Amino acid sequence: MTLTMFTLNAFYGLALAMNMFIIASGLNLIFGVLRVINFAHGMFYMFGAYITFTVAKTWGAPFFVGVLAAAAALGLIAFVVERLLLRHLYDKEHLMQLLFTFALVLLMSDAAKMIWGTDQYSVGYPPGMGGAVNLGFVMLPQYQLFLCVVGPLIAVAMWFVVDRTRWGRVVRAATQDREMLAALGVNVPMVYAAVFTIGSALAGVGGALAAPRIALVPGMDATIINECFIIVIIGGLGNMWGSFLGALAFGFVVQFGTVLAPNWQDVLPYLLMLAVLIVRPWGLLGRPEAGH
Amino acid sequence: MKYSAMLVAAGVLSAGTAFAQQGPIKIGVLYPLTGGGAVYGVPAMAGHQLAIEELNAKGGILGRKIESIERDDKLNPAAASSTMKELITKDKVDIVLGGLASSVGLAMSEVSKQEKVVYISTIPKSIQITTDKLHKYVFRTSANTDQEGDTMAMLAGKNKLSKICHLELDYAYGNDLEVGILKALPKYAPDAKVVLTLKPKLGATDFNPFIPQVMAAGCDGVLSGLWGPHFVSWVKQAAPLGFFSKIKWISGGEIGSHEIAGELKAEYPDNVISNTYELWYHGNDPSHKEFQAKLAKKLNTQETPQWAVLGYIGVMYAAAAMEKAKSTDPDKVAEALEGLSIGTPVGKLTIDAKTHQANIGQFWGPMVKKPDRAYRMMEPAEYIQPK
Repeated sequence: MTLTMFTLNAFYGLALAMNMFIIASGLNLIFGVLRVINFAHGMFYMFGAYITFTVAKTWGAPFFVGVLAAAAALGLIAFVVERLLLRHLYDKEHLMQLLFTFALVLLMSDAAKMIWGTDQYSVGYPPGMGGAVNLGFVMLPQYQLFLCVVGPLIAVAMWFVVDRTRWGRVVRAATQDREMLAALGVNVPMVYAAVFTIGSALAGVGGALAAPRIALVPGMDATIINECFIIVIIGGLGNMWGSFLGALAFGFVVQFGTVLAPNWQDVLPYLLMLAVLIVRPWGLLGRPEAGH
Repeated sequence: MKYSAMLVAAGVLSAGTAFAQQGPIKIGVLYPLTGGGAVYGVPAMAGHQLAIEELNAKGGILGRKIESIERDDKLNPAAASSTMKELITKDKVDIVLGGLASSVGLAMSEVSKQEKVVYISTIPKSIQITTDKLHKYVFRTSANTDQEGDTMAMLAGKNKLSKICHLELDYAYGNDLEVGILKALPKYAPDAKVVLTLKPKLGATDFNPFIPQVMAAGCDGVLSGLWGPHFVSWVKQAAPLGFFSKIKWISGGEIGSHEIAGELKAEYPDNVISNTYELWYHGNDPSHKEFQAKLAKKLNTQETPQWAVLGYIGVMYAAAAMEKAKSTDPDKVAEALEGLSIGTPVGKLTIDAKTHQANIGQFWGPMVKKPDRAYRMMEPAEYIQPK
């Protein structure tokens, strides 16, 4: 592999990792606080992409208005779902929650069919991001460079909010001891609602940001949810920087693995997960659960 | 006691058959209606329904109404297989049509062989359906990978490609199309060399591992079987690098269809030569206009999708075969299909008695910009039909 090819592949791996991180971080946040495995996260991602299509292409608004609209719409949907339905299931067993989020997938997939039909859609790159930057020995596509910047920004923002603000302390406390937090006068249900809303909005943003670089088709939710689970599990359930590392590992393994061993492209992410779990069953940055 | 029970049973049975003969003719059909395949499955189903409506308005088949029993194959061979079995055993359909993915077509053909019910493959292209896996009850009214590969090789020769990069999706269709191309390449382009072959997986959305390899291989042309969303994702990721300014893209998989051109609009790249079964703006048969107008009315758009014609032709063949056989008996219908010719919106077609393959052609041509349109159109569109 020449230097040019290596640089290009490393860059593409990074861009993929950052796009995946934005989506997976939301899934991870929700799991970390609510302990709910949200199967509908992939569907939220797909809705994010489709909403961006409607706002940016059908209505002709600027692309980034589409991204904000996707975040807002998914946040709103998630808030309503949490307040009306999901909150009744926190004390129930995991199976009930799984079935609920799976039902959400089916409902939303039919809703998407009613709203957008089954056509294939495409969203253009935002102006000034459809070309490539020439570094002499290698050309890097502008939009993917942009993703490489946005991903770390979101990671830092999340770290700041969760680790450095009062609200973040409350969120962290909610993962430790819900009853005690409520006894201290914190409105825990609203904390849960806020976390579910933000986590789902991140899926919307992830879908919106993925939209210009892929074809939008029904079913695009199915693979993404698997990949997000892999990233979250590799990184350690509930750990934000873990998801960041997990996404990086995923991006590089998929990119370089597909180049070097194309026949293995289907199983590469699973092999990665297997390898990590053998060495660290609780993920890269996760902690072994007490009492096990 | 025993006798009376048998008599009752016989009575029920004969009443059953008598009833069945007066009832409607049941046509079972499977297309992907959810997930990624729905992009094509839904318009194909629209064409299917249009044909059923037309036939029923004229009194059905053999004087009996037609009932269309429509199911989702989910683009999944296992799901298609069990759904088709249910159609045959529970719904008692007289014939089964459809399928989209080649893998699904092969699975449906297997069920048709086991259950001895006629299956007309209306979209799946894998050559195996009409060669290695051919049996009495399977027929194909779409093109196949040998035909498509032959035309692509011919176009490679015509465009004087010398170093070829070959892109196929890694599943039945892609692998068979590769065989079809390689078989024909020495005939049309004896000096051309395949310098690189890459096979992304079916359903891939991220082509970044492949794009730099093609650009570094120094080929002057790509022969591609990336269809629909695969092509769109490839374009999105490759175009910023100036990929299409240097490379001729000769493609199967119907990316010359209006569905793709109309969606990509200004993002549709230069230097693409591809195919489509039907074009709403260009016909090769007088009956096309009427068909297109009816379809436009049904779908409420002038710019109709090409997949509908395949669903339509499948039904018309089923009807013609039953009329010719004067029966819905699978053996008689299968015999009637052998060598059967019918008129279709893309001209007169004949099913070969030996291979069970209809001689349907495709429109091929370059995708060019039009000053008065927001999307590209195929021009000139040449209808290439196998001999």
